[in-house]
Amino acid sequence: MAAAIPSSRGLPTLESRERRFALSLLGPALVLLLLTTSAPLIYLVWTSLQRIDLGMPWLTGFAGLGNYLKMGDDPRFWNSLLLTFIYTGSTVILQVVVGLSLALLVMQLPRGQALLRIAAILPIVLAPVVVGLFWRTLVLAPDFGIVDLVTRALGLGSYNWLGDPQLALISVIAIHTWQWTPFAFLVLLATLATLPPDVYEAARLDRASAWRTFLHITLPLIRPAVVMVVIMRLMTALSAFAAIFAATGGGPGSATEILNLYAYRTSFTELNLGYGASLAVVLLSITLAISWFMFRLRRART
Amino acid sequence: MSKHIHRRDVLRRAGAAGLAATVAPGLFNAASAQTADLAPYQAAKVNWKQAEGEQITVAVIPASYFENLISLQPQFEALTGIKLRFEKVPPGQIRQKAMLDLSSKTATYATHAADPMYYALYVANKWVEPLDKYLGDTSLTDPAWFKYDDIIKAWRDADSIDGKPYGIPYDGEVTLQVYRKDLYEAKSLKAADTYDQLVANAKALTDADARIFGLALRGFAGAGQNMYIYPSLLRGFGGSWMKGKDIVVNTPEAVSALTWYVDVLGKYAPPAVRNWNWPDIADAFSQGTVATYIDAHSSAAVINNPEKSKVVGKIAYARWPKGPSGKRVSSLWNWGFPVNAALSERGKKATWLFIAWATSAETQARTSWKFAGPAKRSGINRMSQWRSPEFAAAMKDAGDNFIPAALESLEHDTDVDWRPRVPQWPAIGDTMATAIQSALVGQKKPKEALDEAQARIQQIMKG
Repeated sequence: MAAAIPSSRGLPTLESRERRFALSLLGPALVLLLLTTSAPLIYLVWTSLQRIDLGMPWLTGFAGLGNYLKMGDDPRFWNSLLLTFIYTGSTVILQVVVGLSLALLVMQLPRGQALLRIAAILPIVLAPVVVGLFWRTLVLAPDFGIVDLVTRALGLGSYNWLGDPQLALISVIAIHTWQWTPFAFLVLLATLATLPPDVYEAARLDRASAWRTFLHITLPLIRPAVVMVVIMRLMTALSAFAAIFAATGGGPGSATEILNLYAYRTSFTELNLGYGASLAVVLLSITLAISWFMFRLRRART
Repeated sequence: MSKHIHRRDVLRRAGAAGLAATVAPGLFNAASAQTADLAPYQAAKVNWKQAEGEQITVAVIPASYFENLISLQPQFEALTGIKLRFEKVPPGQIRQKAMLDLSSKTATYATHAADPMYYALYVANKWVEPLDKYLGDTSLTDPAWFKYDDIIKAWRDADSIDGKPYGIPYDGEVTLQVYRKDLYEAKSLKAADTYDQLVANAKALTDADARIFGLALRGFAGAGQNMYIYPSLLRGFGGSWMKGKDIVVNTPEAVSALTWYVDVLGKYAPPAVRNWNWPDIADAFSQGTVATYIDAHSSAAVINNPEKSKVVGKIAYARWPKGPSGKRVSSLWNWGFPVNAALSERGKKATWLFIAWATSAETQARTSWKFAGPAKRSGINRMSQWRSPEFAAAMKDAGDNFIPAALESLEHDTDVDWRPRVPQWPAIGDTMATAIQSALVGQKKPKEALDEAQARIQQIMKG
């Protein structure tokens, strides 16, 4: 003690020197991170409190919560919010259900798993813009698209997949599900492979049916992985943009205009930067709130 | 309107140039000096070298009419000593990129190919220079040589706000009826003079089983797509955008116009037309599946391309038909060049010299009938040149009645208030495009779609 006190004033201890060294190593990266992520975020929130409409520069000024209050009677905002929830909910459920089913199926395969895994990675590594354009021009185009060829061959007729409001929403959900189901599939396949065989043996000795085994053994065991997949997919789905932008641009009309696209169109097509920023802040808050809730759910039960 | 210079042609010329350079360097220099004949420019009583050493960047879209201009860049540099760089930005992004530059005052683009509907916005934000002082300054412009008044009046007006020019038109277009004269003759039809005749023709020509559709109009959502066709219909039905100082988009005329648009595309157009912009329509016409379309006169370059089109030699043109109000209303479009207000004084002078050069009669001719490549520009900006025999000769293969129909439209069917010229246009254009599309695809009834657009526009305008 007696020796430590003067040394902390004069010569620093090894610990404090190490801490300082660590801080100086961390410093540049931290500053860079703050500059590139936090600063724009603060600027976004600041912008959302301003009245900035390039179409009406004479009105520019501080608006307080005006932009947020305006959302109350903006039907297009509520429409985009509803679409965001439909889009996110259906894509995440589909991804987990289809991904898990595929994983369970592939687990039964005696060989060829490696090949399937490689095939599954392909959609994930594509840029969403490419995926959107690919579906728009090759898969869903009337007359030439693969889907249209199939439906016509089956005698179901030809449809304007991205031109009809309901079909367009279903189509963009299908596109997102197609691209990201492999992610759920790969994570769940890896988790299934780590499950202990002895519990299953015990279940077999107890003559438990396959469904009961799945419900009471597999599902509880892979639950953490499922929750993790749901969290990650939720965040991606809520912030989805490029694929929809490339496939439909939010159209026809506003049939596929999720909140992210509406914020983009408000800022960069309508040039109302203040209102666009406030829409982006709302989307950010929703994403944060849902993720926080999901993380808490995960911690509480595991 | 992109029409690619043939690769073979380029290779041949590159080969020839290479040969000349290696075999006889002296000869090659002489030849290039000859092609860069600057005398017609030096006839102007201005000092072209007054901004020598400046560097300017010009944003244009990748289209043949700008490619022709880009090919003349060495001539401009030789004439003025100004370093000129072109940047090609896709048409979908050029407005945003230019606005980003203008609003942040970085002066990256000295000038850019500007959408005439954006001048109100630019001027409200003081992003661009009024050009009357450049036109009036005899040290910068020789009025007798430049002849500003020879530039097509409708385009000059479109690039002006409250009578002051803010952009100088470089290339423009009018909308024409384009039709297959063989199909029309087979059914003894004539080019429509009224909307009713247009519908009757479309009905007579549509044969869905044979995959022939009577009429195609741009249907895709966008301020430059369905909001390119709809304003003509609205004006043709006698509607207008403004009621006093307010924008009103759900008038009875507007509802009739949109109903007509929805009806015609639903009955006589290819099913995918709601996702189509002009290139898709021109392609369908080239393949022989569309009998009539109404679009820019410059699309003639696409449908007359012998490598892609099956209908070369079977094409004729006519003006927009008359609407119920008795008016024919063409589009009003040009790519003009403004001067970025964030530039230095010397930079502004250099930019003006570029604009004066690019929009001058000589450069217009050199990018049109004097152009060596196959893509001769059809959107030249000078009335006297539209009437010239050289231009007529260059356009002779476009089809029947091409120049007369375009000229009459330019003179009589253009209308400055074709679309609402207000600073809020980007927001209004997008709102209208979305509303029109929701009616075209059957998501909403025309009246309902326009009522919603009206509510939103009111919200936008009050802020």
